Amino acid sequence: MDAGLIPASLCECPVVENRQVGAYRQVSFVAPEIAALAQPGQFMMVRLAGESLDPLLPRPMGVHDVDSDLVKMLVDPVGKGTVALAGAAVGDRLSVLGPLGNGFDLEGGGPAVLVAGGMGAAPLTMLAGALLTRGREVSCLLGFRTRSQTLAAELFQEADIEVLTEDGSAGRQGLACDPLPGLLDGQPGRTKPEIFACGPAAMLAEVARIARQQGVRAQVSVAAHMACGIGSCQGCVVKGSASYLKVCTEGPVFDAKDLEWK
Amino acid sequence: MEVNLKTRLGPVELRHPVINASGTFDALSADLVLEADLFDRFPFSAYIPKTVTLRPREGNKPPRLYETAAGLLNSIGLANGGIDAFIKDDLPRLARLPVPVIVSVAGESTDDYGDCAGLLEAHPEVAAIELNVSCPNIELGGRSLGLDPKRTHRAVSLARSATSKFLIVKLTPNVTDIVEIAAAAADAGADCISLINTVHGMVLDHWSLKPVLGHITGGLSGPAIKPVAIRAVFLVSQALDGLPVIGMGGITTGQNALEFLAAGAAAVAVGTANFRNPLAAADIVSELGGLMQERGIGSVEELTGLAQK
Ligand SMILES: Cc1cc2nc3c(=O)[nH]c(=O)nc-3n(C[C@H](O)[C@H](O)[C@H](O)COP(=O)(O)OP(=O)(O)OC[C@H]3O[C@@H](n4cnc5c(N)ncnc54)[C@H](O)[C@@H]3O)c2cc1C
Ligand SMILES: Cc1cc2nc3c(=O)[nH]c(=O)nc-3n(C[C@H](O)[C@H](O)[C@H](O)COP(=O)(O)O)c2cc1C
Repeated sequence: MDAGLIPASLCECPVVENRQVGAYRQVSFVAPEIAALAQPGQFMMVRLAGESLDPLLPRPMGVHDVDSDLVKMLVDPVGKGTVALAGAAVGDRLSVLGPLGNGFDLEGGGPAVLVAGGMGAAPLTMLAGALLTRGREVSCLLGFRTRSQTLAAELFQEADIEVLTEDGSAGRQGLACDPLPGLLDGQPGRTKPEIFACGPAAMLAEVARIARQQGVRAQVSVAAHMACGIGSCQGCVVKGSASYLKVCTEGPVFDAKDLEWK
Repeated sequence: MEVNLKTRLGPVELRHPVINASGTFDALSADLVLEADLFDRFPFSAYIPKTVTLRPREGNKPPRLYETAAGLLNSIGLANGGIDAFIKDDLPRLARLPVPVIVSVAGESTDDYGDCAGLLEAHPEVAAIELNVSCPNIELGGRSLGLDPKRTHRAVSLARSATSKFLIVKLTPNVTDIVEIAAAAADAGADCISLINTVHGMVLDHWSLKPVLGHITGGLSGPAIKPVAIRAVFLVSQALDGLPVIGMGGITTGQNALEFLAAGAAAVAVGTANFRNPLAAADIVSELGGLMQERGIGSVEELTGLAQK
């Protein structure tokens, strides 16, 4: 949030790797400008370069990881846009606009609890690294539907991780938020943890409720259908406490207290 | 051969024929987000901000967007901060653009068109006014007055008596006879017709079989509607000989722009393609110049209406 706007650039980026990670595709491409600037929680608008009109528009993709000149995204193929991106072959070129939006605010202190549902884990791996570098204690709650959809825990480096699945096929049975109240109770005298969350709307609403109840700050990364990614179309709005807010330029990371939760 | 890309909309001179379509490029937001110097290499020859209304509008319930085959369905609902805030906050910043600014207004009632035009009249930074008569109108229970020639005539007349500025009227294609509506606008004093706004549409979620958009129905844009737009431009420019037409609907390439101009447009607008690439218009302009050169078409004036000859 308000990390200060960094100018986004539009680049044609060659794909250098596309590999299976759990149920997802990890696509790596060369994008030095984005790699140099991207902050945890920021996103890019990505499509296959070229004239094809279907898919017509780029799709918002979180920056999953950065490795010198390379940017990695983790793609969950749920529809025509993400299926096309998941199928990008080595040597194909991607049209990428980024980095976009406000990432997570890392300036707070104290321990951090990261809560992810499904693909929500993708942008949190870079966040875990950044928080660890700042000397913050990091624990992660990673919720998935079933074993085949879990993301490799090693993506989260030396953070403390708990995996949950809805069907109990891996880790503990339950939802990502289930252990959250316990983690927040903390010990007397210790700084209360700060929550960072990304995942489906219902999970974020639950995170916001628990955070409010326990009086801790929660930063949530919100998803919405997007067309432009740069504040032009007003398509990606979510209800804020006073008015609609644009996910692309006012988010995608919001302080949970600034959004309206049903 | 030297190709002359200049064109004009009445008194408004354009350095090339490609402007933006209202609601699809926010110059102020893009200037903050994109790499510096956007205003210096501004891709459009004139700038039209998103339509403003007399009072602020919150816009429709999300989801507001869904991509269809080579198209985009939207139900933004004319979300805007109202004309007073626009004049106070946005207009002074837009005056820094190196191109003329055309302000798009819509009315929630017929009278609003006159009031909005009157409020803009005193501002020299406003080079022209576009009346978007496709706004859901309160008097008509949410139908837009652009569906009816008499109401279109009344709205344009009110605006005409409130301003001496160049007056563009932007029409919806969702009518039985678009030439009749365009003729009504011209008769009421329109100086130019802009064609087309989005085409009514709807999508269902493939799994739940329920409407995807929060507003249930929306407007379709993008390459999918290009033939609908070309027809409208062809018919209206042929019928209203002498009145310039701004053509839009699915333009993504220089070849597309060439076709709209040949169909009868004096200028074209790029909308949904800006979402594919915010600087798409720059490529479209250079492709258009290249194509005109290849074909030995020396000027936009020579190109306009070739399909009718
Ligand atoms: C800031 C941001 C970051 C994102 N990061 C990633 C990422 O790192 N990896 C990734 O795989 N996806 C990510 N997404 C989601 C991704 O952009 C959407 O899944 C994609 O746009 C869907 O397009 P499609 O054409 O594949 O599917 P569609 O045909 O558009 O939709 C398929 C299904 O997904 C639903 N859907 C579509 N778009 C969204 C959305 N934005 N949020 C929730 N449901 C949606 C539809 O309702 C439908 O049920 C992110 C979204 C945002 C806003
Ligand atoms: C997201 C979106 C918002 C739009 N908002 C407006 C608007 O505020 N006023 C208006 O006159 N037209 C609006 N339009 C219509 C466009 O200006 C244009 O007429 C239409 O999209 C067809 O052109 P295109 O296919 O190039 O997008 C909007 C279109 C889109 C896709």
